[in-house]
Amino acid sequence: MSERRIDAVAKATGAAKYTADVVLDGMAHVAVNRSDFPSALIVKIDTSVAEKVEGVLGVFTAKDLPVAVNLYGRRVFDVPILVNERVRRVGDPVAAVVATTREIAEAAAELIEVTYKEMPAITTAHEALESNAQLIHDRPWEYKGAVVTPETGRNIQSLETHGSREAAEAALRSAVHIIDETYTTPGDHQGYIEPQACIADYSADGSLRVWATNKSPYRLRDVLSSVFGLDPKRVEVMPTILGGDFGGKGAPGEVPLCTALSILTGRPIKMVLRYSEDLLSTDGRHASEIRVRLGIDNEGKLVGGIAEALLDGGAYAGFKPVNTVNLHGIVDAAIAYRIPEFFVESKIVYTNNQPKGHMRAPGSPQAAFAFESAIDELGRRSGIGPIKIREINLLSEGDVNPYGDTWLEYRGKEVLSLATSQPNILDIPKGWLYGEGVALYARSMAAVPKTSLRLLRGQGGKVIAEVPIPENGAGGQTVVREMIRSGLGLNSDQIEVKQVSTSLLPTDAGVGGSRVSLGVTVAVADAIKLWKEMPPDQDAVEVTTNEGSDGPSGAYSAQLARVAVDPATGQLKVLEIISAVDVAEIVNSKAHQMQIDGGTVMGFGFGVMEDLLEDAGQPWALSMGEFKLPNVADIPKLSTVLLHGGKGVGPNNIKAVGELTNCPTGAAIANAVADATGVRIRQLPVKAEAIYWAMKEGGTK
Amino acid sequence: MNINFTLNGKGMELDVDPMALALDVIRGLSLTGTKEGCGVGVCGACTIMVNGSPVSSCICLVGTLVDKDVWTIEGLAEKMPELIDSFVEHEGMQCGICTPGQIVAAASIDSVGASSPEEVKKYMAGNLCRCTGYQTILSAVEDHVAVN
Repeated sequence: MSERRIDAVAKATGAAKYTADVVLDGMAHVAVNRSDFPSALIVKIDTSVAEKVEGVLGVFTAKDLPVAVNLYGRRVFDVPILVNERVRRVGDPVAAVVATTREIAEAAAELIEVTYKEMPAITTAHEALESNAQLIHDRPWEYKGAVVTPETGRNIQSLETHGSREAAEAALRSAVHIIDETYTTPGDHQGYIEPQACIADYSADGSLRVWATNKSPYRLRDVLSSVFGLDPKRVEVMPTILGGDFGGKGAPGEVPLCTALSILTGRPIKMVLRYSEDLLSTDGRHASEIRVRLGIDNEGKLVGGIAEALLDGGAYAGFKPVNTVNLHGIVDAAIAYRIPEFFVESKIVYTNNQPKGHMRAPGSPQAAFAFESAIDELGRRSGIGPIKIREINLLSEGDVNPYGDTWLEYRGKEVLSLATSQPNILDIPKGWLYGEGVALYARSMAAVPKTSLRLLRGQGGKVIAEVPIPENGAGGQTVVREMIRSGLGLNSDQIEVKQVSTSLLPTDAGVGGSRVSLGVTVAVADAIKLWKEMPPDQDAVEVTTNEGSDGPSGAYSAQLARVAVDPATGQLKVLEIISAVDVAEIVNSKAHQMQIDGGTVMGFGFGVMEDLLEDAGQPWALSMGEFKLPNVADIPKLSTVLLHGGKGVGPNNIKAVGELTNCPTGAAIANAVADATGVRIRQLPVKAEAIYWAMKEGGTK
Repeated sequence: MNINFTLNGKGMELDVDPMALALDVIRGLSLTGTKEGCGVGVCGACTIMVNGSPVSSCICLVGTLVDKDVWTIEGLAEKMPELIDSFVEHEGMQCGICTPGQIVAAASIDSVGASSPEEVKKYMAGNLCRCTGYQTILSAVEDHVAVN
């Protein structure tokens, strides 16, 4: 039932308006002076020179802020709007300049003299755990929303475990073959092309309007009303289009600062981050170190497993939105396999690095790299083989997964079989080593999020659908139109879908967790039902869906990477990535395919190029010149095979797709490199230098 | 200082600092289809066409545009509706922030004469897209090249 996407013409002609395109009367611009040190005390801030610059309307520091408590966050309120005493990372905001233009504000921000007294910095997750390590936050358990206690341990943001360590260790002792290896991944950034931006417009009557590159407008409204003591009914987050998100645009960002400055100056305040500032000061993907132990019996069956993850959460925990302040993708590392005794620990620590948050399937790309590399190594070392060991241990009908759930269906073996049975028509460079590697990923998708929606009668028989969330590019608004089109028997041009401000609908949980299509389809189906029963004198129906669960179920992807390695230099060419994807019904086939392709390219970037180069408390990849994202000439051939006939969820019988194919790619590539060369790379991104030196020194698969 | 150039087919005379960035000057004329992305000439979101060639307006001083023939997405959308249609039909976009830059680059492809799929790929490598995985963009550009 695919028709062209709803926003295509506006986006192709340049007419679509994004946050940075919004201009308000009397608007002023802000630039921030940020810390150059990962850890230091502020001794003195001299703003006198900056204040005298022509066009500067004011220079502000923490002591000027119109708040009772100078802290915000998504769940844990531990992020300062402007730092008062102690900077905890390079890039911490220290002072803000408001000026008539962005350029004047930026120039003046450079003229603020800040005197620091340097403190020792903790720049790795391991250092943070040492018994004499300096405390990044003296009493983190006192922050609003904190999940730690004084007993949790030094510098810990969040600690989650599942299963019994003792039972898993006992099971491993009984194993015939064991793998015990550690895998690392670097800090990464979502890489959206639109830098974060916002406008806050506070009026003396106590009302606030906000435009922001934010995918969770209702949560943003609630945070702002809490921080500034405003009536939530008078905080209005306006509709906008997002120029990419991938998990990075859920936090309040610079909106609290711009709100404070709008209150202080009486003007609308706009801030558009330079991309280097976005790389420095937003919330990317956690660097990880994951030790995986797996043991099998003499039939190749897993008897036990332990995964221990240490994640660098950076200076603040406030960018993680979930109740655990953790990354569920880490805990779910073994979700596709039958492991009688499995123990997992996910420990996120404070350091003096950039704070980290959510990025497309939080925790899963790291966990899948570690787990799917480990099981591959175990398969090769034991002689069982990397595909066979997965076939033996993937869950099948009636099994209970390591978390105690029984899914409606398990399709791991089928996607694995599809991914590994596709024809090979590649040209292998002459003299290069060729290899293939497979990796698998599964995610739970039972949760139905809270959302709301309204259908209205428009002119000439038109139906207007008002939705609460911004279009982030995935095509959620097109899904709404397609459902109304088929549900009410209309043509596309009789339907208008538009996001409305937070004052016009009751609620929404925000974009994320591959659940937009699911939440939206539940709401639209309810609304269509009410619409059909609507009396002629009524003009609108409104629905609110509650959080719910549709029975334990999941979606799978398996990828096969085909690679060639130059034996002389270690240069790696990823020639093809085949994605086999588990689907039920597909609402919009083009949008669905782009989630698969875009996810695979992002997984490829994570696998071979992306790295914030964090070292000594400083990310060194601070422009797109250094922070490399895959371009069209970099990427391999992308092939997709769909495994149809799955049991989906919701009224449209669908499966999650947005976070499926970016997760297994790193492991598939590393496994293919091992197949080609016999050397095992346990650190992402996989680099030619690492392959070269490993081949030179000799390695093991 | 007065700067003269042709913008979207019309003569322009602007009193601006020649050291101002073309990106800022163009967006200041309410032509906001030209987007700011990386700011360092890597991502291609700010691509404009200057004398038929693609230029990153975020690293282009407006003073260098004197007497040049400059086109933005707004002008090209009217001049080359079939190219817009090609991106729309192939859905060569998701979030859309890179789309104007992709289309302006595609419109300028004659400047290098790229025609084979491999040449098109190489030519389009200066325009990053984080959403689509590039396949629909390539289809749109290849169609455009085939028709011309």
